[in-house]
Amino acid sequence: MALEDIPRLGCGRSIDRIWATLNQPPTAHEAQCDQCQAARTRLKGLSEATRSLREGDLHNPALKPRPGVTNAILDVARAEVRRSKRILLHRTDNGTTEISEQALSSIIRFAATTIPGIHSRRCRIEIRSAADSLSGEDNPTGNSRTTTNAGPHLFVNLRVAAAAGIDIPRTVDALRREIGNAIPAGVGISAGTINITVEDLYDV
Amino acid sequence: MDDHGPGFEAEPDLDEGSIVARAQDGDLAAFEHLVITYQDRVFRLAYRMLNDRGQAEDIVQETLTTSWHGLHMLADVDAFGGWIYRLATNKCLDLLRKRSTRAENVTNPDDIRSVTETGTTRAAAGTDPAHEAEWSAQQDGLTAVLNTLPPAQRACWLLREMHGRTYAEIGATLKISPTAVRGTLARARHQIAEGMSQWR
Repeated sequence: MALEDIPRLGCGRSIDRIWATLNQPPTAHEAQCDQCQAARTRLKGLSEATRSLREGDLHNPALKPRPGVTNAILDVARAEVRRSKRILLHRTDNGTTEISEQALSSIIRFAATTIPGIHSRRCRIEIRSAADSLSGEDNPTGNSRTTTNAGPHLFVNLRVAAAAGIDIPRTVDALRREIGNAIPAGVGISAGTINITVEDLYDV
Repeated sequence: MDDHGPGFEAEPDLDEGSIVARAQDGDLAAFEHLVITYQDRVFRLAYRMLNDRGQAEDIVQETLTTSWHGLHMLADVDAFGGWIYRLATNKCLDLLRKRSTRAENVTNPDDIRSVTETGTTRAAAGTDPAHEAEWSAQQDGLTAVLNTLPPAQRACWLLREMHGRTYAEIGATLKISPTAVRGTLARARHQIAEGMSQWR
């Protein structure tokens, strides 16, 4: 389909052009052309009916699905909720203590709500044992330190949207401090490494 | 329900992209917010496409359930709305194709009557009764002629005029170029305006 498919009146005017200029006074041609005047009248009627139908449908209580539909959708979502991975917080001779990534994310997201100008988005959390951390980049000298009491080391990777116009470094530092306080207060382990990515700006 | 749905009392100005991103992480409260935001829009589109309440509800349920399953694959969180409209429109067109292979389109007159009586005259409420009646007749004419358009053309008109979607997005949905969307819309307006002038 191409532009030449746009219907034209017998006088050559395209319907598209008449529609686009409906709110303007008729041109000299349109003022003396019967076909254009008739088309303008019809299209004005359509424009009004369109606006009226749009508003009517928007506020029409009958044009909504019944509440059972919402529940059915959410039931499916609940039944098929993607299981988040579990993070090992603590291991003893009598068993292990784990927390779901989702539960830990909710603590992090709640902490983020206290920082104006930040909307938290996706959150990924990994845990490495202190031994892994110390044997890697965190301990390049390779000292043979004991690791048994150092506990797990969390790696939080949080993506956020920031309000346009804020001081991003300062705000993100404040966010990192807030998360750094919330994790030990919430689950009793230190926050470890908190990587924050500002992936979008939103208009205030 | 307020504008922000459940679960976001602490963040009343949360942008949709952030809500979509959280739903991608499996956050049910975020997904519920999206369901509540889009279910009425999808219903209005599907109802005007299909003229059948039950089938329009099925489209709402299928569209939003499909979105939950595919959400993690959505690369651009800001494209969620366009994606939902694309899913819903194509489900409606599929259903109409199946219908046309079975029988003629059937419009349930009770459905049309109930919708017309309860809502579509509201925009003119408060005006004099004669004007109101004329207004309602105009809308009845519009919906009657709309239902005579081929399904893809009707979808194009509804997506643009009732839902304000962009030419690019409508083109992606209907697998035509934005230029072809413009042409389709112009023909739809011409046919509807002509049809309305003869409708009584």
